[in-house]
Amino acid sequence: MADPSPETDQHSASDRAAEARDRVHFEEEALTHADQLYRIALRLSGSPQTAEELVQETYLRAFRGWRGYRPGSNLAAWLATILRNAFLDEARKQSRRPAQESYEDTSEYYLYNQLAESGGEPQEAVLNRLAGSAIVDSLADVPPAFREVLVLVDIGEFSYQDAADILGVPIGTVMSRLHRGRRALKQSLAARAAEGGP
Amino acid sequence: MTLDPCLGVESQLQSYLDRQLTAGEVTLIERHLGSCAYCRERYHFEAKLRDTVKTVCCGDPVPDGLVERVRLHCRGHAGA
Repeated sequence: MADPSPETDQHSASDRAAEARDRVHFEEEALTHADQLYRIALRLSGSPQTAEELVQETYLRAFRGWRGYRPGSNLAAWLATILRNAFLDEARKQSRRPAQESYEDTSEYYLYNQLAESGGEPQEAVLNRLAGSAIVDSLADVPPAFREVLVLVDIGEFSYQDAADILGVPIGTVMSRLHRGRRALKQSLAARAAEGGP
Repeated sequence: MTLDPCLGVESQLQSYLDRQLTAGEVTLIERHLGSCAYCRERYHFEAKLRDTVKTVCCGDPVPDGLVERVRLHCRGHAGA
């Protein structure tokens, strides 16, 4: 048997160097999405500490599986998919998976109407008065299956299609969960606005 | 659109805010919003609600040094 030719060795060394460069490039590009992922993780988990752990776990999985990323496709969505899986794994450990409640029977204008009934301030002024913490807490009240869609679309600014890909569900499911999630959020906000009335 | 144009706007308002409607649907909604104070007021409220939630929830400070800690964490587990 002949030894591998020096040419082949050289070739594979340059392949390895190219792959190392690709990997570094991938890691640097992926890390530009850290802030966006952290905000999504924070709104999914509700805890800054868990959010940071989720982001670290996401990058660990992403860097190990970086060859699975198709260059030119949506890197933020690819990372968000990993983040969401890491979040589900964490939630499973703590066995707190969503009760799917129905918010179908409320009007689109539920919050507006509730604020109008309570009188006093104009509705938009109530929104200005609601503390940031009341909004964050109201979002946390939304059942997780609906909240994750709200977080991806309304906060993460992913399209319906990206959200469907990230969650592995049809686009119609994204739309219906988004719809219910927004209604659940309004109900929770209405309750908080009533508590903190002028 | 349903027969009652205000109900039609109510049912399509979220999709309108999400920019998911066709050009024709957008034209119908905007024409209606231009002439109906009831719907216009609610539209402004819904749009402001979206903005408020987004501004509050995107205003969370990202912890200092997050990216560096991620790098260290990943290096520490490299090959594990």
